[in-house]
Amino acid sequence: MAVPAPDERKRVATYCYQCVNGPDLLTVEVVGGVATKVEPNFEAGNVHPAQGKVCVKAYGLVQKIYNPHRLLRPMKRTNPLKGRDQDPGWTPIPWDEALDAITARLNDIRSRGLVDGDGYPRVAFTTGGAGTPLMYMGTFPAFLAAWGPVDKSLGAGGTVKCTHAQHMYGELWHRAFTACADTPHCQYLVSFGTNIEAAGGVMGVRRQADARVRGCRRVQIEPHLSVTGACSEEWVPIRPKTDSAFLYAMLHVLLHERRIDELDVAFLGQHTGSPYLVGPHGYFLRHPDARKPLAWNKTTGQAVPHDTASADLALTGEFTVRAVEIGADGESWNYEAVAATTAFAKLVQHVARFTPEWAATVCDVPAAAIRRIANEFLTQARIGETIEIEGRVLPYRPVAVTLGRSVNSGWGAYECVWARTVLQVLVGALEVPGGLLGTAVLITGEEHDRIGSVRPGPDGFLDFPMNPTDKEHWVAKPDVRHAHQSLLPLVGNGRFSQALGSSTLAWMRLQGRAAESWPRPKPPDLWFVYRCNPAISFSETDRLAQTMASFPYTVSFAYTLDETNHYADLLLPEAMDMESTQLVRIGGTHFQENFWNHQGWALRQPVVAPCGETRDFTELATQLAQRTGLLADYNRMLNAGAAGLPLKSASHDFSLDESRAHSTDEVWDAVCRAASAEVTDGAAQDGLAWFKEHALRVRPFSMLNWYLFPRMLDLGLRFELPYQERIFRTGQQLSNRLHEQDIRWWHRQASDYEALPDWKDVGQLWNEVYRESLAVDPAKYPFWLITARSMQYAWGANVSIQMIREVARNVAGHDGIIVNGGRAREMGIGEGDMIEVSSPIGSVRGRAVLRQGIRPDTILMLAQFGHWKTPFAKDFGTPSVNRLVPMNIGLMDGGGSSNDAAKVAVTRAGPPS
Amino acid sequence: MTRYVMAADLRRCVGCQTCTAACRHENETPPGVQWRKVLDMETGEYPEVKRMFVPVGCQHCADPPCMHVCPSTATGQRGDGIVTIDYDLCIGCAYCAVACPYQARYKVDKSAFAYGDTPTAAESMRFDEKRLGVAQKCTFCSDRVDEGKRRGMTPGVDPAATPACVNSCIADALHFGDIEDPASNVSRLLTENSWFRMHEELGTDPGFYYLWDEK
Repeated sequence: MAVPAPDERKRVATYCYQCVNGPDLLTVEVVGGVATKVEPNFEAGNVHPAQGKVCVKAYGLVQKIYNPHRLLRPMKRTNPLKGRDQDPGWTPIPWDEALDAITARLNDIRSRGLVDGDGYPRVAFTTGGAGTPLMYMGTFPAFLAAWGPVDKSLGAGGTVKCTHAQHMYGELWHRAFTACADTPHCQYLVSFGTNIEAAGGVMGVRRQADARVRGCRRVQIEPHLSVTGACSEEWVPIRPKTDSAFLYAMLHVLLHERRIDELDVAFLGQHTGSPYLVGPHGYFLRHPDARKPLAWNKTTGQAVPHDTASADLALTGEFTVRAVEIGADGESWNYEAVAATTAFAKLVQHVARFTPEWAATVCDVPAAAIRRIANEFLTQARIGETIEIEGRVLPYRPVAVTLGRSVNSGWGAYECVWARTVLQVLVGALEVPGGLLGTAVLITGEEHDRIGSVRPGPDGFLDFPMNPTDKEHWVAKPDVRHAHQSLLPLVGNGRFSQALGSSTLAWMRLQGRAAESWPRPKPPDLWFVYRCNPAISFSETDRLAQTMASFPYTVSFAYTLDETNHYADLLLPEAMDMESTQLVRIGGTHFQENFWNHQGWALRQPVVAPCGETRDFTELATQLAQRTGLLADYNRMLNAGAAGLPLKSASHDFSLDESRAHSTDEVWDAVCRAASAEVTDGAAQDGLAWFKEHALRVRPFSMLNWYLFPRMLDLGLRFELPYQERIFRTGQQLSNRLHEQDIRWWHRQASDYEALPDWKDVGQLWNEVYRESLAVDPAKYPFWLITARSMQYAWGANVSIQMIREVARNVAGHDGIIVNGGRAREMGIGEGDMIEVSSPIGSVRGRAVLRQGIRPDTILMLAQFGHWKTPFAKDFGTPSVNRLVPMNIGLMDGGGSSNDAAKVAVTRAGPPS
Repeated sequence: MTRYVMAADLRRCVGCQTCTAACRHENETPPGVQWRKVLDMETGEYPEVKRMFVPVGCQHCADPPCMHVCPSTATGQRGDGIVTIDYDLCIGCAYCAVACPYQARYKVDKSAFAYGDTPTAAESMRFDEKRLGVAQKCTFCSDRVDEGKRRGMTPGVDPAATPACVNSCIADALHFGDIEDPASNVSRLLTENSWFRMHEELGTDPGFYYLWDEK
């Protein structure tokens, strides 16, 4: 960049993608080359659903540039000993020396083989933030793709801190990697701890505020009165980890206390697997020749394939049919006359015992409240009503049940996502206006084209790229350390699948305390870490840090010194959010409440020149590719789409010359041209200069694409609910494969694959793990310790930003541990007193923040603090739940996910300090 | 006649502090000085608990106690209702800060920066010595309002003529406009919604309206 005149004033547009709700758009005022203030990008207000605004986090981006604790030069470790109490002895070195060091190690790895003796990649890469770092990583993914096998299973928090069960099952059922209410059309929201006001980003806050003023009512069911609870009509303080009981009781009310004709029988009969007949072994009864699942045609009094035209299929009843039942591994049973009932009838039977009175004792919520909410949900669903969306008449069902993040992982998560989605289909409120919608796909198709991922699969349902569990194709020998292909059929094997594997398992295997029938994996020879801090953000973090210390060579792209790069060998300061270039997709539908009427691309450009010796990630990636002899492959990856989209199509060719290195601007200019061509169907080919001036380029995106139902209808497909026959068979086959290998340590996880998930007492399960695996008396840990989102902090390396700290402290809980005021008084704990919180694996201390908006049996540590190395943050004195959460196979569900909560003991440690 | 007022829709506010941060940016206030901020208030006893978020700051009262106690005439009032501070006249006695029932005024005697004694480049560029030793508070971004009006814009409607906090509010909770104009955005909001003003019983006639329900 040219050196600006001291009084030169300009406004530069860029995007913020510090959390999954991005990108959002902003402008930055720059005076004499110095960034001064952030403002919304109002010029984008006609397409950005929240008027081109950004949230509080983006206002921290100016200080993020000028933070005096930033690392501005590459650093190498001079103390070979790694440990919490070891000073790394960081010494600044020139970039050439840093890149030479990495190149030497990479070339050495290549000479010895890209995978080690166990078959695991020698190179590993870890990032966090639910993938948001990809929006800042420039072309580094192209380098990793050119390199070859990379182990991405050493997570930073994924499978604990993500909505894991939703990712897998949601995408199977309705292309819902994440799910969201159709907020602009919704009238009644039942939210099980969804902290949308803190976690839903700019769009979430705006849409929910508009909905509130419009009269949409929200019931917030959660143990602590969150920011979202504050803005809700009703707070129901449920006992932690009992959401499944409440949800099952709601199912009971609808299926046992209301008449069937009050439900959306048309939706159930025509658009779900409800009429399918189920056989004695729990599998669908199929036509003996066509092998299609059978249903009972009321008109003809016969069993017919489910897709028989003009059939009036029974939702309930007992029938006798001639059929074949196909089980696991091809086992089948032929029947001349077998008793059959419908999947719907089995559902009704399944929830018979889950009365609101039963749930009341589990959840500590009055039965009357559970019943009232269930009935309200049904009444507000307005079954039978329609609405016109862009000329197409669709069902209008303005009700949605949403689940908080921590309800979606660990034991009980399958029950919760299943029960929630079944509630939606009972009233026909799935993928229609007003109801529950999926937002993006990461397993089944192109992330930005959810509707395009709708393809027919078996049995009239959607297809899904299951990892095979049949004997011939099951991946018996894992190729990455968490063995996602072997252990998790539902995460597929696509671009993002490694991130969905059990990263807890990966770390536990490295620690030698899991998967005992497989050899203990060796650490990677080279570990890249980017824009994450697993030593803070994962579980059992003290032990995790020790494991990191055992790695032979870690390269950390570092913003400041932190708790993870404390164990690194090399620190590389990349140019930050406001100093580098990248083009990303924007609009369409995505993640939380991002529902646009436009879709296209947005640019992040240097607002200021990179500080110190920091370098754009694209430049670093290109240099590494060149130095390791991978330049041609790297360029080929870029041309194929590794920077966002393919650079060549039928109508244009902006391919990069594979034989030479391209500058950062050259690369992104080509990407911009391809993006312009995509958005304008070839009419425009404007490159980087155009995007720098205009910030984004979009085209209309039909609101009909918000909803999957029209496409399902057009293709004659049904939602694979309520009965999970495919899941059941998959689980049986997985169990068979594990049994053949004498693998006993994943048995409980494989048994989680139930056709109708049985309710589990999660609290009891925790007690069992404490007693049997951790060898402690659970009665000594009577409190639930939970966490909650802080909008100000998640994510973005904000902990060292002074202004963020300052404004966040206006929101309760940022300074200590939230404890119920009455309970605290009983325990002799006063406001600000130091308290000690202990789990079986450790203790932390913090200041008591006394509040009424939390259950007496629950305490809360907001966000993820507990820093001991990150400048500024290490002086907060605010602890994190993560140090106290055990990594334990007993706490992992069928998807390999666990939960960032713990049973703890609480004692007063001293006066305020 | 013109009187600029602020309206905050309490149904919308989520306490995110985006307005707090935007104000800090626009006005380059030092650490801890928040002309605009949002209170996180809790009432009741478990389980009957209410929590709400309330944006606060100078209320630009029509009858401002701060102006009455000011010995130097530094605190004044414009014809459009905006209560002002002339830093050149202010003697830093802080009587105004004591008199203000809204705790809206700050006084900073020493320079303070985000990270200790050395300002960052951004702080250095915008540091204003005039703000040391004097009272300071929300100005309703009068510079933006005046410049915007000079260019023919409508304060509260055109972003360039509107206070930064209002511009930044992601919940669309904050609004700014002329209450004397019956057709203005704020006038419409006050007609259509129930509202209250804070500490009205003190007779300050504040220019800050809290909306809480549809009429």
